[in-house]
Order: sequence, then C-alpha cells, then structure tokens
Amino acid sequence: MHAVGTRILTVEDDERIRQAVKLALEDEGWDVDEADTGEVALERFRDRAADVVLIDIMLPGMDGFEVCRSIRRQSDVPIIMVTARNDTHDVVAGLEAGADDYLTKPFAPKELSARIRAMLRRVRSSDGGSMERISIGDLEISPDEGAVMKAGKELHLTKTEFKLLVELASQPGKVFSREVLLERVWGYDYFGDGRLVDVHVRRLRTKVETDPASPRYVVTSRGLGYKLQP
Amino acid sequence: MIRPALSRRPHFGLRARITFIYALGALLVAGAVAFASFALVQRVLLEDFEEAARAQLYRNARQVRSNLQNQSVEVIQAALAAPEEDVPEEAGALDLGDILGNLLKPNGADDLLVLQNEPRSSRGLELRSIPSSLESLVKQGGAGQQRAIVEGQPKLVSGTYIAQLDAEYYEAASLETLQSTLDQLGFTLIAVALAGGVAGAALGYYSTRRALQPVVRVSNAAQAIATGDFRTRLDPTVDPDLAPLTASFNDMVGALEARIQRDERFASDVSHELRSPLMTLAASVGVLEHRREELSDQAQQAVDLLGKDLRRFTRLVEDLLEISRMDGVDIHADLAPVVLAEFLHFAVQQSRTPEVPVLYDQADAGLIVMAEKRRLAQVIHNLLDNALKYAGGATSVSFSRTGDLVRIAIDDNGPGVPAVDRERIFDRFTRAGADAGRRDVAKGVGLGLSLVAEHVRLHEGRVWVTDRTRGTTGARFVVELPVGDSTGVDEEMAI
Repeated sequence: MHAVGTRILTVEDDERIRQAVKLALEDEGWDVDEADTGEVALERFRDRAADVVLIDIMLPGMDGFEVCRSIRRQSDVPIIMVTARNDTHDVVAGLEAGADDYLTKPFAPKELSARIRAMLRRVRSSDGGSMERISIGDLEISPDEGAVMKAGKELHLTKTEFKLLVELASQPGKVFSREVLLERVWGYDYFGDGRLVDVHVRRLRTKVETDPASPRYVVTSRGLGYKLQP
Repeated sequence: MIRPALSRRPHFGLRARITFIYALGALLVAGAVAFASFALVQRVLLEDFEEAARAQLYRNARQVRSNLQNQSVEVIQAALAAPEEDVPEEAGALDLGDILGNLLKPNGADDLLVLQNEPRSSRGLELRSIPSSLESLVKQGGAGQQRAIVEGQPKLVSGTYIAQLDAEYYEAASLETLQSTLDQLGFTLIAVALAGGVAGAALGYYSTRRALQPVVRVSNAAQAIATGDFRTRLDPTVDPDLAPLTASFNDMVGALEARIQRDERFASDVSHELRSPLMTLAASVGVLEHRREELSDQAQQAVDLLGKDLRRFTRLVEDLLEISRMDGVDIHADLAPVVLAEFLHFAVQQSRTPEVPVLYDQADAGLIVMAEKRRLAQVIHNLLDNALKYAGGATSVSFSRTGDLVRIAIDDNGPGVPAVDRERIFDRFTRAGADAGRRDVAKGVGLGLSLVAEHVRLHEGRVWVTDRTRGTTGARFVVELPVGDSTGVDEEMAI
C-alpha cells in the first residue's frame, strides 16, 4: 500500500497514548520513532530524518509549536499537529508554526493513516509529475523539479505550499474555492477545514509576495476563494 | 428559539431627559419671575396712573368749584338753560364748556360735569358712559374710580361730588397707552422666559455631557470587556465622586478576568483530561478493529460493541465540550461564504440519512450564506438525527429566500412537537417524552437541539419548530440565517 521503511516520528508526552498510537501505526505497516518531549524529538529528528512528524501541542517544557518551528527551520518534512482542543487559536497557531495539517484528539487510526498517506502522496506527486514550467511575473515555477524562482532566486517552500502554488498556477486567473483546494492539496472532502487553506495562503504570500500585505500574485477573490493573478 | 419582538416604545436617554428637565426648570423659573415682574409692574403703573388721575380730578373739581361758587344762581341757570352749542355772547355770561375746556388734563382725560342734573362736557363725554355704580356712589357725596369700557375704549373713570355746587364731576382717562406699554412688557417677558428655557436646555445639554463623560467611559470599557478584552481598565481618577466607581469597576473587571481565566483553564484541563484516555482507547480499538478477522466470534462481537460505544461516548464528550465552550466570552463563528445548495447537498450526503432530498428553487442554486461549515453541518446533522430518532427520518431538507433571510426547513412525518415543548426542546438536556419518564439512552442525552440553537445563535440566525401545513402531519424545523453578499459571482471558478 505504501513504501516500506516509511518512518513516522511521534512526539507525545502521555505514555499510554504514545504506545497506543505506535501500535496503531505499526499495525498499518509504518516504522515509528517516539519522543516524549520536544527536546528529545529534535534530537531524534537530527539523528534520523523522518518522513512524517506527528507533534502533540501540549508538551512539557518546549511546546509543540516551538518543536514545529525548529523542525521547519531545517526541513520541509510534512508535519501533523495534534491538538486536544478544536479552538481556532491552537489550530491557527500550529499551522502558522509550519504544520501542514492537524488532527484533534481523539482520532481514529484510520483517520491518521489517511492523513499520512495524503501527505506522502503530496511529496511524491511533486517528485514525478510532468507539468510544464510556468512563468508568471517574476515567478518561475518548475513543477518537475519542485522549485520556484522569484527574480532568479530560489524560494524555499514546504511541499504543501508548493503543491498549493502549483494548483493555483495550473489555471491562472481562475478562482479556486477553499473546498477545491482542500480536496486537491490535502485530499479532504467538502467538510475539510478552510483555515488550512487560509493559513497556507498566508504562509505562501510571505514567501512569493514582495509585499504580503497587498499581494500581487496570490489574491483573495471576494472571500470565495483564491486565484493566482497572471 | 423564537424570541418575541420587543415592543418598540419610544424612550429617551438620560441625557435627553436631564436636558429636558433643565429646560423645564429654567422655563418655570424664568416664567415665574416674568409673571411676578409683570404683575408687579402692572400694579405699580396702574396705581400711579390712578393716583395721578385722582389728584387731577380733585384739582380740577376744586377749579370748577372756585369758578362757579361765586356765580349767582341766575347766571348758572342761564348757562345751563342755553343749549350747549349756543354759547351766550353777552359779558358776564357763563360758558361752562370754556371752564371745563380750560381745565389742565395732562392725562388727556375727558371731563363731565353734572350740575343740577344737567350734564356738560368739553369733550363729549356722556353721562350714560359713566358706570352706574360709580355714579350712585358720587351722587351720594362720595368719590371713586373705576375701570370701564367707554365707547369701545378702556378708560379709567374717576368721579367726585362737589358739595358746594351739589354737582358731580367726572373724568375718563384713556388706559390705551398704559395697556400697550403693559402688552409690550408682557411680550418682552415671555420672550425672556422662553430664552431662559432655551438657555436652561443648553446648560443641561452641556453639563450632562460633562457629567455623563464618566458614564460614557464606563460604558465604553464595559463594551470592550463584553467583546472579550479583559485587560480594559478605567483610568484612575482623583475626583472624589468618581473614584469609588472607578475603583469598584476595575476591581470587578479584575475579579471577572481572574474568574474567566480560571474557568477557561479548567475547561481546557477537562478537555485534555477527557480526550487523553479517549485517544488511547480510540487508537487501541483501531488496532483491534483492524485485526478483527483474527478474533473469535465472541471477541469480534465485543470489539464491535466497544467500537460503537466508544464512538458514542466520544460524540457525547465532544458535544459537552462544545456546549461548555459556548459559554465562553470570546466565542464566535469563523464565518466564510458558503454556497448553500452545495453545502446542504454534502451535509445530507454525510448524514445518517443520505437519501433525504434537498429541495430549492433553481434561482437560489448560487445563494451564499456566511457560515462556519463545521457548525452549520452540525446543525443540519443534529436536526436530521433528531428527525431520525423521533419521526423515523426527515422527508426533505429545503430552503427558500425571503429578502435578506434564508430559511432552511427540515420536515418529517412524525407526531410533531406539542406547542408547549416548542421552546423547551432547544434547552440543554431536554428530550421529547422525558416527562413521561421514558429513558431511552439510544436517543442521546438531549444536547443535539441545544447545540443547534447555540450554533444558529452564533450565526445571528434563529431556529424554531412548527407543525407542517398543507394537510400533512409532522414537524418542520426552520433555521433562519442572514443571506451573504451573493450579488452575481462574476469570477470564473476553477472546477
């Protein structure tokens, strides 16, 4: 079903949850690394890179947001935040710290597997697609190489940000509703969380826009969605 | 929840009322002063006028007496016998008209001398113009004054008896000048009183602005706090009248802030404490379910039961946490434009009764509402679940637009909701039939409809239940939401 040797790093302070999640993930056939604190997690990640990182927000000492930021500084590995509260603050803060997706406790192992699989698909599809190079303004997007150049300088996008940009660039000037983007980038159905799109668009703007406050490329369309201005 | 419309009775603010009272007070005071001044001035002027008229009357009466008392009876008889117009020419003859005409009358009064019942006047004052009460008083040897209308003019009529001549002497002075002076004074005073009222209103308006400033500040602060900014405090003041208010307000906000922080921490802790064991359970049950085929028949049944009830328990915890969050201060829906027809289609499809038809007018296919999808989906799911529990499932979900509002209706063919329960069912932990002592655990604990009510409230909408009309029985749950800006989406959408 998926490549053997895919490694998941789970960061969770509650031992029972950690064990149960490890059992469930291993049952799905993945290799699992564990960490009970943020500090240990960063050490593990340095020793052996993971393919997906699962971070609980409520950690003793260094919290989940900080772990997320630290990992993000050194890698574009897909990160899933796990929160015990479904409130806007935690979700948005987690996404702004660089997470690609989030889950609310308690979630079923099937749900987690689906999220992980969607993430890995995202990574792989940008590896082996065959799209033509897209030029818009001073942006140059090479879907095959997974690279974006702005005025000749390479931008560092996460896999999710890149996928989002490529989706928008596939039909420049057309408005993509949140639902369409959630389905194509994250693999969610209609009821996916629009905040994922909103925060990722914000993150994308800080990288591709000269002035993120008045975007030239990724523009909002009457609250209905987003489009890439040709 | 149907909230009866508030009766719209006009009422005025504190400031308007204080201003009005100031104006009324000033008007009353200025009016009273004006009235008193007018009465006083009127009395003084009249008394002066009367006194002057009296003095003139006596002086002129003396003059007439001295002119006539040395005349012989014959001369007087002759003068009286002669018709008024026919003045006697001969020397020594007496001309009564001349005598009267030569009297000094600075107030311009008309004269009338009644001598041996013969009235004589230099200015045509007639005896019938003299008020009869005054005339009889004078005839009996007295003297007096009376105001009267003479030939349509207000006059002060004064009269005295001249004993030596057995004559009556009258003067009628015009009051017209005095009256117009008083009229002018009256108008001036009314104007002054009105100006006083206006000045009072202005003073009230100005002083209340200053006086109400602390109230305005408190109100602004309270508003900021109501919207969740608990760091708001009033600036400390040295004003001894306001310091206690400021201090107690700030204390209250401080206590409230601490209380809310405590509550929020508690809610967050509870949330964490409840979710953690559920997480372990969910992950472990997931493993068991994944390996269901390896289990014995009995163990499979046990795992199925475990999984079902775990999911039910999880839903209950989610609902409880959701409803407890509704009491928070900073609770609001993250509204985004949602195409309603599409939304309802997906919401119904994901529910436990995905076959329920979604009906709407084709013209409303692109209708947009501002909603938080997660919350609105829970509204639709809970209403569909409710129909499933109590009416065997909904028959349709429909919506229609009326002006700026859209009504989503969920219909069923069940027994309907009795009128007395129609508001109550949206309260927490209320269940149909609960009064009869039925405890059907499978039907949930009664949070569903209260969550519906709370979510709808966060969307600034309303929800209520009615009977179905047009000959069918059953209940119709109606969710009314404001319509978003859907004026022709001109952008080309990617599909």
